[in-house]
Amino acid sequence: MSEAPFKNPGWAGNVGEYDLTEEQVRGLDFVGIPPLEGTHPASVAAYPYMLEEKDPEAHLFEGPYETRFEKILTRYPTRQAALLPVLNLAQEVRGHVSPETMDRVAELLELSAAYVRGVATFYTMYNKRPVGRHLVQVCTNISCNLCGAEEVLEAFLEHAGAEIGETTADGAFTVIEAECLAGCGFPTCVQINSRYYENVTVEEVPRILEHLETSRGSALEDGIDGARPTAERGES
Amino acid sequence: MGYPYSHEKEVPILSKHFGDPQARTLKGWKSRGGYEALEKALAMSPEEVVEVVKASGLRGRGGAGFPTGLKWSFMPKDRSRPHYLLCNADESEPGTFKDRELLRWVPHLLIEGCLIGAYAMGAEHVYIYCRGEFFEANQVLAKAVDDAYEAGIAGEDVLGSGHKIEITVHAGAGAYICGEETGLMNSLEGRRGEPRIKPPFPAAVGAFGMPTTINNVETLCAIPPIVANGGEWYRQWGTEKSPGTKLFCVSGHVRRPGNYELPLGFPLKDLIYDVCGGIVEDRALKAVIPGGSSVPLLSAEEVEDCTLDYEGVVEAGSMLGCASVIVMDETTDIVHQVMRMAAFYAHESCGQCTPCREGTAWVTTILKRIEDGRGTEEDLDVLVQLTDQMTGTTICVLSDSVAAPVQSSIQKFREEYLALIRRGERVGVA
Repeated sequence: MSEAPFKNPGWAGNVGEYDLTEEQVRGLDFVGIPPLEGTHPASVAAYPYMLEEKDPEAHLFEGPYETRFEKILTRYPTRQAALLPVLNLAQEVRGHVSPETMDRVAELLELSAAYVRGVATFYTMYNKRPVGRHLVQVCTNISCNLCGAEEVLEAFLEHAGAEIGETTADGAFTVIEAECLAGCGFPTCVQINSRYYENVTVEEVPRILEHLETSRGSALEDGIDGARPTAERGES
Repeated sequence: MGYPYSHEKEVPILSKHFGDPQARTLKGWKSRGGYEALEKALAMSPEEVVEVVKASGLRGRGGAGFPTGLKWSFMPKDRSRPHYLLCNADESEPGTFKDRELLRWVPHLLIEGCLIGAYAMGAEHVYIYCRGEFFEANQVLAKAVDDAYEAGIAGEDVLGSGHKIEITVHAGAGAYICGEETGLMNSLEGRRGEPRIKPPFPAAVGAFGMPTTINNVETLCAIPPIVANGGEWYRQWGTEKSPGTKLFCVSGHVRRPGNYELPLGFPLKDLIYDVCGGIVEDRALKAVIPGGSSVPLLSAEEVEDCTLDYEGVVEAGSMLGCASVIVMDETTDIVHQVMRMAAFYAHESCGQCTPCREGTAWVTTILKRIEDGRGTEEDLDVLVQLTDQMTGTTICVLSDSVAAPVQSSIQKFREEYLALIRRGERVGVA
């Protein structure tokens, strides 16, 4: 069943019957690395990055991020509708969404601070406090649970030396339990920063953690979630 | 073809190019016949397009199974106000993982379906509301949208037809409830994703107060092949009331989990034992959830004659939902899994309605107590009574969704609960 060469821990392409490279499965060769300022305004609200490097004090927004912010605003009939994409953008820059960040976003979108806090606290993807360089989210919902997800979660906690929801002393890892990530056919599904690691078993956990720290900052080795996106997009 | 495995019994229409990296690119998509259906649709009147979809009998693939053509026809003909089409790509029902494959393998199929839908309903803007977690899949879609704009397929003048249709890819921020259509609209508007009371229905007062239709990714992906080949063509598969093909997401204790595109009405037993290669280590089947975690469990006995169409699954005692088949073998601890599902709903309850906000938390607490061996037989009656009160009493069906696994498991696997209660230990778990 697993004829394809094993290339990367947790990559879903290593099961199944398709002879594809990891880049082909993930679409990395097609997507390339989008520029910080985004491309067409139609697609700039498509994704929040979750980056290793974070600057909680960064100004909101300047340089290419300001360009992306302006592009987002052109896509909605109200400024309020830009709230989720703009919070995503703020988190991409600062790593988490602090009360001060929420207030700044409120100012930018001409909304009340209380309103923005009400919305921001509704959504789980906004980190309300700082997280480690690698935010490890282990799905323990039913399909993964049936296939041993709780043991995988335990293994991540043990090998990272972390308490659930807490960041390790070296700032490397925060491990949390996640609800269904829609990778049910590839249990256990784990989201680490922006990337999905699939078919994760207890045995692979130490390798994944080691891989994350050793490949730090290398866009080539770690793919799209490893470094700030600066290179040009690939040809289509 | 299914991904990551395929099977000879599949009818690959939507999944034809899964596992084919060239199909993502605009050039590759066009060489595979892409955007021909859009051209055909633009040469028809919007009403004719709606009629084709009606004739196909396509039903919404997001879970409710409402006829798509009929839904489209509810949109007002008065075009003086903006109309919106929202694509629901906030896939988050536990057990469901089909939309991510569609987004990452055939993004142009979705874009084409969105443009045809927008044309048919006179919508000037399509918002594709994606799960925030789908970073990679969203990037693939985003790049495809960029390419579609550059080629003049989306935007001011769609394929030179004079029609303006904008597409915006919009990432959510992690909330199951935003997959509910009115919760999705609120979230798109920059609000908490709390569902709205209906009526008014979205076709009258939807996103930004304007006429709106919300369709699932898979529904919109079925549109281009239907428009290209005609409504009758689609009816050669499936049943009279549930025509066409459907992506079945199979997870849990099967040898070959994955997405398989099969005609509706396919026997559930064949899906598990033939298409998916049977149960791991040839263990015995205990239960199956046929449509995602919000539907009742089927016992092994009920699986025997169950066919996978909207009516067939109801007849067997559950619902097809989004065809997310979760297979549980004899080693499964039913009480623990039901508790885990209840904990999920407690976490995801938006908190607007008291029966749901309080009920989901209480159900979870009681189930945990039973699991810990501190439950009483009376707790089972309380659970049934409590979940009864949570059914049909709230704005959306999240509350009803917790009742389904709880009540069906108590009814069908009562012995497992009683064993924990009586002896404080698990039985029936091999």
